[in-house]
Amino acid sequence: MVQKHFTVINAQGFHMRPATNFATAMAAHPCTVTIRFNGKEINAKSPMLIMAACIKVGSEIDVVCDGEGENDALAAAAEMIEGGFGE
Amino acid sequence: MRITDLLKKEGIGIGAAPASKAEAIDLLISLHEKCGNLKDRAAYREGILKREAMGTTAIGMEIAIPHAKSEAVKAPALTAITVPSGVDYDSPDGDPCKLLFMIAATTDGDVHMEVLARMMQLLMDTEFTEKLKGARTPAEFLALIDAKETEKFPEEVSAKKAAAAPAAKQGYRILAVTACPTGIAHTYMAAEALNKAGEKLGIPIKVETNGSGGAKNVLTAEEIANCDGIIIAADKSVDTARFDGKPVWSTKVADGIHKPEELINRIVNGEAPVFKADKKAEATADIGNESFGRKLYKHLMNGVSHMLPFVVAGGIFIAIAFLIDAAAGVEAAGNSAFGSVTPVAAWFKSMGGYAFNFMLPILAGFIAMSIADRPGLLVGIVGGYLAANGATFPDPGAVATTPSGFLGALLAGFLAGWLLKLFEKLCDGLPRALEGLKPVLIYPLAGLGIVAVMMCAVNPIMGIINNALSDGLLWLNQHNLGVLLGCILGAMMSIDMGGPLNKAAYVFGTGMLAAATTESYQVMASVMIGGMVPPLAIALSTIFFKNRWTADERKNGVVNIVMGLSFITEGAIPYAASYPLKVIPSCALGSAVAGGLSWLFSCTLMAPHGGIFVVPTIGKPLLYLLALAIGAVVGMLMLAILKRPNKEEK
Repeated sequence: MVQKHFTVINAQGFHMRPATNFATAMAAHPCTVTIRFNGKEINAKSPMLIMAACIKVGSEIDVVCDGEGENDALAAAAEMIEGGFGE
Repeated sequence: MRITDLLKKEGIGIGAAPASKAEAIDLLISLHEKCGNLKDRAAYREGILKREAMGTTAIGMEIAIPHAKSEAVKAPALTAITVPSGVDYDSPDGDPCKLLFMIAATTDGDVHMEVLARMMQLLMDTEFTEKLKGARTPAEFLALIDAKETEKFPEEVSAKKAAAAPAAKQGYRILAVTACPTGIAHTYMAAEALNKAGEKLGIPIKVETNGSGGAKNVLTAEEIANCDGIIIAADKSVDTARFDGKPVWSTKVADGIHKPEELINRIVNGEAPVFKADKKAEATADIGNESFGRKLYKHLMNGVSHMLPFVVAGGIFIAIAFLIDAAAGVEAAGNSAFGSVTPVAAWFKSMGGYAFNFMLPILAGFIAMSIADRPGLLVGIVGGYLAANGATFPDPGAVATTPSGFLGALLAGFLAGWLLKLFEKLCDGLPRALEGLKPVLIYPLAGLGIVAVMMCAVNPIMGIINNALSDGLLWLNQHNLGVLLGCILGAMMSIDMGGPLNKAAYVFGTGMLAAATTESYQVMASVMIGGMVPPLAIALSTIFFKNRWTADERKNGVVNIVMGLSFITEGAIPYAASYPLKVIPSCALGSAVAGGLSWLFSCTLMAPHGGIFVVPTIGKPLLYLLALAIGAVVGMLMLAILKRPNKEEK
């Protein structure tokens, strides 16, 4: 299991597009991907669950990847979040 | 932000059949336009299409949520359509969309994110989305969402209901607190007036009365949190820290009685400033445009109202002591031990005296506390005590000094309170690490220092003034002008009936009691009789001059007999308020006559309160009652002259 702490930097947080893109990207990895935010565990492969969590700019989150290809998944997640989802 | 706040019935299209994604979008935009959510349809449409070009807003499960943040949006809003046969929306799972929501968001704020998050939380439930897709009318669609939202977020619904249904018992839109220094009449009259005005305006009000029996009908934290604003109609300090962050309109108790509707409208119209408890000083200065004089009066009354029980109980105990000695046949004239000769009398006198000893410390303490909050209590109480014992720099043990007494205690309360408040302000610059030390060490230490130095310096001066006052009284008496003093005090008692003039005379009278001379007891006798006349004069008038009054006024007249005999001047207020120019001069004249006669008859009163019940302790009780009767009759006759018969009642 690998995990990493992030601060959400893009102005609108995990709104629909980042949430959808993130979930789609994570779904491509065989491991489980979980976002820990505000005491909750969110399945990062579901755009709806991500959006429902209302993760705004400045939020502190942990991304936890567990299973096959967990390092690749975490690297991909880091690239998206730290890159501000290209916004 | 509830979905149902953003989505109107007019914004819902049931059973739509758009042929394409573009048609579906136009349909949703048209609904926004119909609801008046847009400033510029074309600009908003451009935003929506731009967003779709970046990737579809379909999220699977046959749902799509097109959205745009745009300048063209007036206020955040939602529209929705159901498409039973489905429309191709480039869904990630390839299925056509049957349920579409469109978010119109303004460019500022996070509403768009929050709405999205909330919708997701609702739409995750497939059973719910299936029901939405099958809704037959916009109303049904909206009701489904409302029910689901209520189920998911129950806590905010109760708050919403409270706001939406002001008539409901649990949801008062406006709260009020009423209080007056004595807490016998004004407090409750203001409460009643506010309640009546509220009923008339269709806005039920809950009124907390901070009367002499303690606070009744106390406002709960929940009620405070849910209300639109709070009216404070009080002539003394009330606990305001709990109103932090709520609109508060602060005014005198008389406004609660005379202008209840105006006060309610101020809250309804949002004119009340938001109260900040942590900046109490500034906030109080801002609210209700309180003048300096009014604040002064409020602080004074906070002291007087807390002091009164000590004065009343102690005074009556002392009066009982005199009564016992008199009954035991102890010679009163020229006997300085009178009142503590028989053992039982001595016990009463001592116990009463102990209560009296707290009079000045409590007076000063609660004045200072009204000014400087909790830290003020210490400086005020110590200051009042120093005023009572008369310590000075050369004589700190107060062995042979002239105490500055009542006037010194007033000064101690006000000056020490203000100085401490100033000191608190100066301490704002101290490092934050010392914050915790301020209330437990810094303020008390500095406060004690300030008040000790101040009182030791002031005591000699105030002693002189106090003596001059007594000398003046004595002089008036020696030159047979005491009658004039009696008249003045009597009139003062009835001119504003519980207002500042009344209290000034009363505070003077009770303060003089401490001097324990015949003159001081005569002062008290004149003061009390002045306060007893107004309700009696009015009561007599309602009995003997029926045609001057309405049926209601006549009915209440009987109550005024009890009020008057108990020395509760406030009973006259409803009449004085209704016909001030007729009632007040009449009562003042009657009171002046009674006060003067009381002095002329050399009536003395050692108890500071009690009306007819302390008559046995009065020196020359029969003459006192005679003076009272004459005063009341004079007041009644004057009233009959000034106030014409009621035309309607003839």
